[in-house]
Amino acid sequence: MSQYLMTHSLLGAWLRSMKDNPFEEGDDPEKETALEEFMHVLRREKTPATIAMQRGIDFEDLVTSILTDGRPVPYHWENKDKMILLETHPPEKHPYYEAACKVANMVRGAKLQYVAQKPVVIDGMELLLYGRLDAMKEGRIFDIKFSGSYERGKYRDSTQHPMYYKLVPEIMNFTYIVSNGSDVWTEVYWFDEIPRIEPVITDFLHWLRDMNLMETYKQYWGALG
Amino acid sequence: MIKKPEDFDLGEKKIRMLLAGPPGIGKSTLAMSAPAPLLIDTDGGFDRVEFMYRKDRLVANSYQEILDDLQPQNLKEYQTLVIDTAGRMQSYMSAWAIAQDAKNGQRGGQLSQRGYGAIKREFNRLIDYMFVTLQKNIIVICHSVEEKEDDVIKQRLKLEGGFKNDVWEPMDLGGFIEIQGNNRVLSLANTEKHFGKCTHGLQQAYIIPDLSKGGENNFLTNLFAEYNQVNQAEAKHIEEAKALYQAAMTGGRLLIADVKDAQTANETFPLLAKLEHRLTSEREIKAEWVAKMKELGLVYDKATGQYVQGVKA
Repeated sequence: MSQYLMTHSLLGAWLRSMKDNPFEEGDDPEKETALEEFMHVLRREKTPATIAMQRGIDFEDLVTSILTDGRPVPYHWENKDKMILLETHPPEKHPYYEAACKVANMVRGAKLQYVAQKPVVIDGMELLLYGRLDAMKEGRIFDIKFSGSYERGKYRDSTQHPMYYKLVPEIMNFTYIVSNGSDVWTEVYWFDEIPRIEPVITDFLHWLRDMNLMETYKQYWGALG
Repeated sequence: MIKKPEDFDLGEKKIRMLLAGPPGIGKSTLAMSAPAPLLIDTDGGFDRVEFMYRKDRLVANSYQEILDDLQPQNLKEYQTLVIDTAGRMQSYMSAWAIAQDAKNGQRGGQLSQRGYGAIKREFNRLIDYMFVTLQKNIIVICHSVEEKEDDVIKQRLKLEGGFKNDVWEPMDLGGFIEIQGNNRVLSLANTEKHFGKCTHGLQQAYIIPDLSKGGENNFLTNLFAEYNQVNQAEAKHIEEAKALYQAAMTGGRLLIADVKDAQTANETFPLLAKLEHRLTSEREIKAEWVAKMKELGLVYDKATGQYVQGVKA
């Protein structure tokens, strides 16, 4: 039997599409619906990074730079709906440096970008659960988020901590470290309050079958043996 | 006092708690059920507490007056300091911060971006001072407001700017008081409707005793005692796990450090399997082993089950 990759990003994109109601879309006909965004993810199509995504990437690169080699890090900004690269800074000159230092101090000594995977059978399908952890140490997983509109509890319904807890069940807790570039907040989920990921995956597989998208999933998400 | 790592600190821990809920639901009265409380009354909460449940209060017209009164010699008989409310304290701190430095304000009296940073630092300093220096429990009372999001009515803290996130950071416990049926309930859980903070081991929700027919107002005193009991057991369990984790990491790293070539790698590899692992030590040591093999250019030959020299990284 073949094995298929399953990631929290795929599940997250699907859940966002489920919340999206195409009949209540705003008045911008060119705006992609969450379902269209999900289809890009399902077909593993590369889409250009949004400004929010790019800032997250820049911030994470900055934290990594502070922790490792001190390499210069880009700084993007949005100007009239266009993303522009303002400058590339040495870490200590970067506008987010102080916040990134706080984050770096929290994850110092951790294994960065640790890849975890686990074969499972769910709803009769052989799946390979896969995750790339931002940082792991001392029984804790840390995920670094950049958010300009963070509000406590934002990640409660995320599939990320349930998926990563399934991948690394020996953890005590999962901590989201969130920054807006100046402030840093933490949102901690202890192992005994993390829901199981299996029901979400089961629902996802049923939905794929109901929508005749299972073959598309199999086409793009086959795991290499 | 110098302590050894194995000396677990299992004494009674002071507690920092956020108590939120809509106006009039009984937050101030509930806060008065904490051990030996002093109400820092910036919001007239005292007037809403039934006479028989009233306790001492600190009344001030400015943040500086509060600071002046919060001296150790004034606070000997109190175990818990209650900030009632965080929103009013934020207003007091805003005026204080602008008086300290005009750049903390804008025309019109609102805080500038820099001012928000200043009161965030000051709030953290105040909580640290009350907790670490004065050694008191802290209760921060906060009004909540309802916001509709995706057809769900959510309870949010009624605070300005990033302060609504900042206020959670130092807290050990936090929850919302809400009405469920005929009961008032303190919910410490993360739910669809609100966030909570509950050191794991406690119940997710507690029914608050009905004081309308009298009775002792001691709910939070009992909750704090339960928290300490749970926390002590949990802290011991976690410390033991961390000690074993550290032993595995130290042992594994010593073994890996001695690997110089294929021969020492093959001698060491079986020893790694004998380490007793806890938490994530096995994964971390494996990751360090893989990095070391890569650094030395050693590859695992499946046929012979041995490491052999490959190409150096």
